[in-house]
Amino acid sequence: MTTGTHVIEVKNLTKRYRDVVAVGDVSFTIEKDTIYGLLGRNGAGKTTVMSILTAQNFATSGDVRVFGLQPYENAKVLSRMCFVRESQKYPDDAKPGHAFAAARIFFPHWDQELADRLIADFQLPMKRRIKKLSRGQLSAVGVIIGLASRAEITFFDEPYLGLDAVARQIFYDRLLEDYTEHPRTVILSSHLIDEVANLIERVLVIDRGRIVMDEATDAVRDRAANIVGDASAVDAFVQGRQVIHRESLGNVASVTVLGALTLADRERLAAAGLDVAPVSLQQLIVRTTQHAADQSALDEGALR
Amino acid sequence: MSRTVNVIRMQLINRQTFIWLPLIILGASFLMSLAIYAMIPTDAPKYGGGAQAPLWYFFAVGIQAMTLSFPFSQALSITRREFYLGTLLTAVLTSVILAAVYVVGGFIEQATNGWGLNGWFFRLPWIWEQGPAAAAVVYFGVAMLLFVIGFGCALLYKRFGPLGLTIVLVGIGVLLVGAMYLVGRADAWGQLFGWIATQGALGLSLWGMVLAAVIALGSFLTLRRATP
Repeated sequence: MTTGTHVIEVKNLTKRYRDVVAVGDVSFTIEKDTIYGLLGRNGAGKTTVMSILTAQNFATSGDVRVFGLQPYENAKVLSRMCFVRESQKYPDDAKPGHAFAAARIFFPHWDQELADRLIADFQLPMKRRIKKLSRGQLSAVGVIIGLASRAEITFFDEPYLGLDAVARQIFYDRLLEDYTEHPRTVILSSHLIDEVANLIERVLVIDRGRIVMDEATDAVRDRAANIVGDASAVDAFVQGRQVIHRESLGNVASVTVLGALTLADRERLAAAGLDVAPVSLQQLIVRTTQHAADQSALDEGALR
Repeated sequence: MSRTVNVIRMQLINRQTFIWLPLIILGASFLMSLAIYAMIPTDAPKYGGGAQAPLWYFFAVGIQAMTLSFPFSQALSITRREFYLGTLLTAVLTSVILAAVYVVGGFIEQATNGWGLNGWFFRLPWIWEQGPAAAAVVYFGVAMLLFVIGFGCALLYKRFGPLGLTIVLVGIGVLLVGAMYLVGRADAWGQLFGWIATQGALGLSLWGMVLAAVIALGSFLTLRRATP
């Protein structure tokens, strides 16, 4: 049975490929009707986790329950989920319409109107075979199946690959619109953290096969702040605090400090004429998940 | 069950692979055979092997049904069992259609005395000697056997890579050579060929179907642990 509002429960999940540990003893739960960001670097284990949750791949050890049941060969569970992988394959001679017609047969909540609207939004060429589509158009096919299936748990595996900025915004907008009208659980894997930051309600950060952060997005945001202003005043304020980043231009400094600011802190900042700016989710996740020994992760582009 | 039947619908949504291509191959090889028959200046009956062409295509269909349709079926949240049974049913359905076309073609050939050319494409005496129903079973059995072999090879490749597939095929070859050695030692080649001759086309294709069933079962067990 499903406990509380959890739709997915993972206990001590491990996936090993010969000597490589892709997922190492991971435990977490996914709550109903929430948008999750499954964030992490390339090769962190995001796709492996999603594959195991949908029984497309197999765990080496550990227990996975979806709607309280084992998903493997379980049509009752699987038909309530949708996972189109980033490198999804389609039948050789299939055009997008064939793929959507097949999806319509199998997903009980499929919405053809929504699919048609998305096809127009993404300007998807319906007469071309899927194997001749560009990378972005291929991503659009997966995004359309994911959205229009309205599955109770929907996985999006780096759905933005190859999509231009306009198409990505369409995806984020449509996802939010449809989610508002038809709440469901969405798990969005991404390494473009800032782009999805406003969309996701909870962050699940996976790094080298381990979950390193599992929190509400708002709570994560409050964990750090940028202090901006006169360099000497900033330095005085950050004395004794944990500084994770520092930038300065002439006389002005911008310093990122960890830890929530108290009311007294804010009064002190106001008195010193310093400004407080929010820290981007991406910055915060990069800084807090980097390994102590791995200073190269400090690079801005580490998660790109 | 309805989801298994829906797998047939999924496979047939694009009719090209399962319907149009085999029919085009059949039509083309038929017309080419007739053209060749017309060029041969003899009054004796002319036989050709062109009718095999669409049957061999079922080997390719089996490969495609595995390499491309299986990963797609996973994205549609179809279980492996549903996918496998539905795909086998699709193969059965199309093999039946193909066998029916062959039998009808055979009757037309008889009625027109080999298209007026005394040229025989469908009605090969060896296959038809036990009647039209037996001929239908032969065509059906060959198409199904080639389909499951194609599917099985693609599946072995998917699960165990090129090395795994090669080892299995080499292993089968070694077993066959071993069997030949044993037959030779027992001095039983004469008996073996005698047995094959008594089986006829129908008997051999029934044995082929037994083999297909064994391969199909092995494929199912392999597919249960396959990943897209």
